[in-house]
Amino acid sequence: MHATLCDMITDLVQNSIEARATEITLEIKENDSNLNVVIADNGKGMDAETLQKARDPFFTDGIKHRHRKVGLGLPFLFQTAEMTEGTASIESEEGVGTTVTFQFDPNHLDLPEFGNLTTAAVTLMTYGYEGNLILKHQIGEKEYSISREELSDALGDLNDTESLLLLRQFIQGNEDELREV
Amino acid sequence: MAKMTLDELRKLREEKKKQMTQRDSNDKSAQIIIGMGTCGIAAGAKDAFDAFLDELESHNITDTKISQTGCMGLCFSEPTVEVDVPGMPRVIYGNVDDKVARRIVKEHIIGKSLVSDHIFDKPAVDIIK
Ligand SMILES: Nc1ncnc2c1ncn2[C@@H]1O[C@H](COP(=O)(O)OP(=O)(O)OP(=O)(O)O)[C@@H](O)[C@H]1O
Ligand code: FES
Ligand SMILES: [Mg+2]
Repeated sequence: MHATLCDMITDLVQNSIEARATEITLEIKENDSNLNVVIADNGKGMDAETLQKARDPFFTDGIKHRHRKVGLGLPFLFQTAEMTEGTASIESEEGVGTTVTFQFDPNHLDLPEFGNLTTAAVTLMTYGYEGNLILKHQIGEKEYSISREELSDALGDLNDTESLLLLRQFIQGNEDELREV
Repeated sequence: MAKMTLDELRKLREEKKKQMTQRDSNDKSAQIIIGMGTCGIAAGAKDAFDAFLDELESHNITDTKISQTGCMGLCFSEPTVEVDVPGMPRVIYGNVDDKVARRIVKEHIIGKSLVSDHIFDKPAVDIIK
């Protein structure tokens, strides 16, 4: 099971990548009493039946993990929402895309810790796929937004060590500024 | 850490690129592929990712490529990492925590010798290529 919310977010964005989305938006809004996350993609989507099954912890598409019959992404989200009196929802249309939304109480004692968004963002931005990924992070009144397209435009090959180090520094700088008082 | 603009990011990258071409980089670069599937992440693949970056940075190695793949189907030995250094056999390492990641940089990528106690799978040399 995932140790942090950032690990869970990584998994959900990977679902969008696996659904062959070309445009993915990850929006995180935080304040003292609310953590609100929206992950929207224009990937292959799900029909009503798949969508129903996707909430089931004993469903995965059967292709990906040859040795495992259990998907961990969405069930973990719904379980966390239930355990912490938060909300989670998923909307999807076949051929159009999928939107996953959740809202948690950041002060709930059972909520997993938030985790390291910088590392999550660096790994997601360099996961190796063709589409665009937009990350928006807001804390209180401050926010920043970065996209994979503009990052590869500025850095070129995102996967060499030099780019990865600069990217990590860039995202960490944005994160630090959000948290400055 | 101070916040940079995209333009500053681009300039930094260009400066570093110039420094790189001044150094004679005749070697083909090494490749690290980290399994970032659900099991990999749950087992700490992101810590390994950060440790690889930190260790490469501290040894001033900037041309190694780090990429990721989803499920490698080797859950029981996650985090799993594939390392391909030109002129050496391609190796898959299992149970790569941050300490092992640092050893892979020092012993395998720099020292050109395998981290034998973490090899998950080493294909016979003659089937490579
Ligand atoms: N954004 C999405 N677009 C289309 N289908 C999706 C999306 N997210 C999930 N699904 C479908 O729901 C299934 C369950 O997703 P879930 O993340 O729970 O497990 P998984 O991705 O199959 O495995 P794991 O996340 O453990 O690697 C997926 O296999 C996929 O068929
Ligand atoms: S990530 Fe472990 S079986 Fe796929
Ligand atoms: Mg998934």
